[in-house]
Amino acid sequence: MPLARQRLLAWLRRRPEARAWSLVGPGVLFLVVFFLLPLLIMAAYSVMSRGEYGGVERGLTLESYRRFFVPIYLTILGRTFGVSLVCTAICLVLGYPVAYAIARSGRWKNPLLFLVVLPFWTSFLVRTFAMIFLLRDTGLVNTWLLRLGVIREPLTMLYTPFSVMVGLVYGYLPFMILPIYASLEKLDGSLLEAAEVLGARPAARFRQVTLPLSLPGVVAGSLLVFIPALGSFLTTDLLGGAKEMMIGNLVQNQFAAARNWPFGSAASFILMVLVLAAVLVYLRIRDRRPMAAA
Amino acid sequence: MTGLDRREFVRRAAALGLSLPAATALLAACRPVRHDPALDDPGRALGPLERELAIYIWSDYVAPDTIPDFEKEFGVAVTMDFYDSNEEMLAKLQAGARGYDIVVPSTYIVEVLVATGLALPLHRQYLTNWGNLSPIFLDHAFDPGNRYTMPWMWGVTGIAYRRDRIPDPPASWEIFLDPRYRGKMTQADDERDVIGAWLRYRGHSLNATDPAQLEAAKRDAIHAKQNLKAYISAPVKGQLITGDVWAAQIWNGDAEQARMEQPQVGFVLPQEGSTIWLDSLVMARGARHPRAAHEFMNYVLRPPVAAAVSTATGYGTPNREALGLIEHPVQYPSGEELARLEYQRDLGRDTATWDQLWTEIKAS
Amino acid sequence: MGRSLPRWLVALVAAVYAFLHLPILVLVAFSFNASKFSVEWTGFSLEWYRRLLERDDILRGLRASLVVGLLATVIATLLGTLLALGLARHRFRGRRALEALLYVPIVTPEIVAGISLLIFYVLIGLPLGLATITIAHVAFCISFVVVVVLARLEGMDESLEEAALILGADEITTFWRVTVPQLWPGILSAALLAFTMSFDDFVITSLVAGPGSSTLPLVVYSMVRRNIEPSINAISTLILLVTTLLIYLADRYGRQRARS
Repeated sequence: MPLARQRLLAWLRRRPEARAWSLVGPGVLFLVVFFLLPLLIMAAYSVMSRGEYGGVERGLTLESYRRFFVPIYLTILGRTFGVSLVCTAICLVLGYPVAYAIARSGRWKNPLLFLVVLPFWTSFLVRTFAMIFLLRDTGLVNTWLLRLGVIREPLTMLYTPFSVMVGLVYGYLPFMILPIYASLEKLDGSLLEAAEVLGARPAARFRQVTLPLSLPGVVAGSLLVFIPALGSFLTTDLLGGAKEMMIGNLVQNQFAAARNWPFGSAASFILMVLVLAAVLVYLRIRDRRPMAAA
Repeated sequence: MTGLDRREFVRRAAALGLSLPAATALLAACRPVRHDPALDDPGRALGPLERELAIYIWSDYVAPDTIPDFEKEFGVAVTMDFYDSNEEMLAKLQAGARGYDIVVPSTYIVEVLVATGLALPLHRQYLTNWGNLSPIFLDHAFDPGNRYTMPWMWGVTGIAYRRDRIPDPPASWEIFLDPRYRGKMTQADDERDVIGAWLRYRGHSLNATDPAQLEAAKRDAIHAKQNLKAYISAPVKGQLITGDVWAAQIWNGDAEQARMEQPQVGFVLPQEGSTIWLDSLVMARGARHPRAAHEFMNYVLRPPVAAAVSTATGYGTPNREALGLIEHPVQYPSGEELARLEYQRDLGRDTATWDQLWTEIKAS
Repeated sequence: MGRSLPRWLVALVAAVYAFLHLPILVLVAFSFNASKFSVEWTGFSLEWYRRLLERDDILRGLRASLVVGLLATVIATLLGTLLALGLARHRFRGRRALEALLYVPIVTPEIVAGISLLIFYVLIGLPLGLATITIAHVAFCISFVVVVVLARLEGMDESLEEAALILGADEITTFWRVTVPQLWPGILSAALLAFTMSFDDFVITSLVAGPGSSTLPLVVYSMVRRNIEPSINAISTLILLVTTLLIYLADRYGRQRARS
């Protein structure tokens, strides 16, 4: 065994590129086979004609893509981007302090971290119905506000943009907290102490020590909230009363009631291309900046 | 490259390509579900009773002892998997999923299944209890002669309402246009149900494809949307019970469930007419246990079994022999009611038009 | 490091935790509710816990979810961590393209991912079952794992590893003894995220599950049309209890080991 290990190491040392690819290889292979290849099938579908009963039939056409560029669908896309942006901002404001607090909690770190994800090991639907119970006109929040005399009439909280945002923020908060925690956790107490000793006030300490260190986590968290939020549809249906359409609902409908797979695929690919273009731009900017000194 | 390098290289390549041999092994091991052409001929005899049965069905659509009793009597192990919408089941089958013996589609989905070859004809010679079914639910346009479908449960869509909040029973779809109840009403989150209701309101068929009729229905639907609290389907039951919702477009079975918990809930079939729906048992393409499937279908045609299912689910049974065995049976629609009830049919290419309309309604 | 956190921060954090757990308290409360509709409190009852024992479908669903969840989490975390290391530490051709490509699974709507995978499985003749679900879960989790681990890796000090190498440790020892422990909070966060996504996934799972392989979310979602029986609340409560217990025990065990 040690002999094989030596040989493996010797071979790896001789080929730096092999080292990279041996790390990256298995994951990439898995993704290529079980995600990208299937996606290519959908890409093919997006340029085919809609079958009479669903599915696709022969005949290449760009009709599905052309069909998307009308005000109604573009508005849906735009609104979805807006909603996701707001959700990401709120998650950042709420999630950063939590991640920071957990990172600074010493021996309570792990339990606190688990407590963040624990609610999500229950069923999404039951959680959402619990939120409905809290927010509806005769629900818990209204009942208590009325009883305490804070309000005279029940507040309409459910089936509004407010309840949709509550649901979205709730669902994506861990996606913001966990990456920020991961990058903040290496925050060394001694660094902060040193800064304090050298005369920096709390705000400056935060700005110049903590924040730069957590930036990778902030970016990661923002991407992991913003991007999947674009595709969400259940929250709009359940907490928004299905009165609006986000792009996720549109795509879902195409594969369900509308039985228009090409259009559903086309809409998805338009969304994907937009997002990937933005990600590429971000990566280019990031790589051009010099690495922040540790 | 020395010999040593090559061996290491091969080993590394083999390690990286672990998924490939595994996939090959899996492929070799798996049995592709081949379609048995004998199943296409309803006259041919089926083989002996198999030991397993796979059912793909709506949740809570059988009585608690239906399956266990069947398993005991016939020695068949049954697996039940659930879907929550026709379209989900259809999409899955159309994408190629096989292995389910029985699926339970609604009317218009049956047409799609048959047209795309996903439904197999019934071998009626094994369904000896067929005569228990009421002719009201047989031989409809979506499956003439019941070549493929065995009626399972039926229901109607109507308006459930709170008697203590809305003193006059809402006799018409018009109630959703009434600003007095603004914010207290819901329509189903289903394009067929919503657009269909507004088509009926103007006296048209709920399977209409005429652009002018559809435009009018769309306008009415958008007008009503201002008064709606939300689009919710069956789960609105809870809010009818608590009084958050005063009028809801839902199925009679769900209204009945709400009424059992809250006696003030009433149900009305609008005078302009509405949907009558029928869910059927269908044998799916790729069924591996056709004999067991038929024995199950015949088993649930027995009046006591059908009665138990109807009592447990709250929906109507098309089995007229079972009616006498149910305490509070869902009565069959009268001739007068049947005249204003319509089955939903598949819309073919016009599905795209309806979907466009629905998107416009939702985006308004 | 004994600095305590400012009061306003603690209050805000407590509020966020309360926000996260309030629906859970409601969920737990309704598991003891007499009515089968979870809309109003009508009385105390243990009926739904008793009913759980009869609901084979729920119990089987739970087992499927756990098997798939654990398997998928382990595989996704492993592959994803290695991927992140390769991306962060090495410059190679196609690196930026690869990193961008990683966002494809994150942006793909679930229904598209699910249907495409189903078609793919049918094409290669793979029978649907727990294996196909696991593969699908790994496929959409890897990217999330990579992003989280990368966040940890970026700016992580390489000097410790360099020191180890200079002191004579080989790459593999350095990896296990220096890199992984440093990376651990990132790996743990990524694994928690992956498991959470897998355990609660519905859309993709419903499309790639085969006969007899329904996971817990599939059982629950199918109930929406009828009524979500509080037995689901009961099993969710039990899951919470067991998990909390495990966390507590793990915490105790960890601290005991640290002491010895």
